[in-house]
Amino acid sequence: MLSSKKIVLVGHFGVGKSSLIRRFVKNSFSDDYLVTVGVHIVKKTVHIDNDEITLIIWDIEGKEDMQKLRPSFLLGTSGFIYVFDATRESTYINLSDEINYIETHYPKTNLLTVANKIDLIEKNIFIKIAENYKLKIDYYSSAKTGENVELIFNDLAKNLIK
Amino acid sequence: MTDAEKLTLLRDLLLDEDRNFANKILEKVDTLTDTVNIDEKLSQKVEPIISRKLTSFVEEIPVKLGPTITEALSEQIKNSQDEVVNILFPLLGKMIKKYIQSEMKTLSDNINAQINQKLSFKYWYRKIMSFFSGVSEIDFVLADMAKSKILQLFIIEKGSGLIIARYSNTDTIDEDLLAGMLTAIKSFVEDAFIKGDQNLELIEYELYKIYLQNFPTYYISAVISGKFDAVFKNRVENDLFDFANKHIKKNIGNKQYIEQKLKEYFINA
Repeated sequence: MLSSKKIVLVGHFGVGKSSLIRRFVKNSFSDDYLVTVGVHIVKKTVHIDNDEITLIIWDIEGKEDMQKLRPSFLLGTSGFIYVFDATRESTYINLSDEINYIETHYPKTNLLTVANKIDLIEKNIFIKIAENYKLKIDYYSSAKTGENVELIFNDLAKNLIK
Repeated sequence: MTDAEKLTLLRDLLLDEDRNFANKILEKVDTLTDTVNIDEKLSQKVEPIISRKLTSFVEEIPVKLGPTITEALSEQIKNSQDEVVNILFPLLGKMIKKYIQSEMKTLSDNINAQINQKLSFKYWYRKIMSFFSGVSEIDFVLADMAKSKILQLFIIEKGSGLIIARYSNTDTIDEDLLAGMLTAIKSFVEDAFIKGDQNLELIEYELYKIYLQNFPTYYISAVISGKFDAVFKNRVENDLFDFANKHIKKNIGNKQYIEQKLKEYFINA
């Protein structure tokens, strides 16, 4: 079966959304930071068992508040990936509110939360921080090293065809 | 044991460590002398350093000198515009001439090909029209070539920007990305003009026009070449409404059926 699904990466600016996409689609990484203006769309086809699913990935500009995002960019989304920077508290301090907003306004979508830039912080230390903040984290990733990047998108794709 | 022998023994005992140290230094000096004097050894040591320095120098040039060179060149060009024009004029002239020659040849070949299609209905139609109207056959061919044509059609889901069905003559663009970007542009423009139910209808892209026809849950995007005037727009609009009513309304999930019908319906459009 061949199908297409829209995926949107959300989160604050500079958390590594574009880098995660770049690592997933082109298997590359750059330390140069380029701000995403508006939206950038890329696609990648993944194979899950006998199914083929084309992920149309919307990389939208980072905002510190989900409510400030252009709602029309989020319409028709099948899966969200909420990305935050494990080294910047301000990017995850309101995580539960942000997740709550997505789950309320886009109830039929899949949502994964990702703590990115995990290569820059001791993972055990961050796990303790996350416990303190009661963060719901699905994956720890690093766009730089590629850790878990493929897994995140593949797991989301699996959830989408269930 | 004589006094001299005793002194030698004492010296050996006391200065043994110093002598070893001195010997080691002498060995190192010898090695260094060899390295400096023998070309092969010297090059083995120096070459990697020079190579490293050269690589980093080459990498640093654009960063360190780039802006200065660009600024200097800009200033130079600004101050010597006449000289620059004198240098570039012959080169640009040649390039433009070559380009025009190539385009004229393509146009001429196209016209000749159309005029020489004696077995076609169009050939005889043009002949007769030319005979009665007094307008040359070439003018008819030129008018024919400038006619509007639908090159690609995409039926795109509103919001998600996913393609419901497509019809295309060419494979030059990634249709999924085009559909996504069209949807993003459309959303952005429609959000920006907060005036209720207004929709983005037309995007001009160099020689092409992308016409967007809105429906409640999807929109149709038609990539058009040639002259796009009110008459053609009206025709496309009517055709799209007609097509949507006949084929999309009841078959929205049936991609294969819609694509087949798109092909049949618009192949001669």
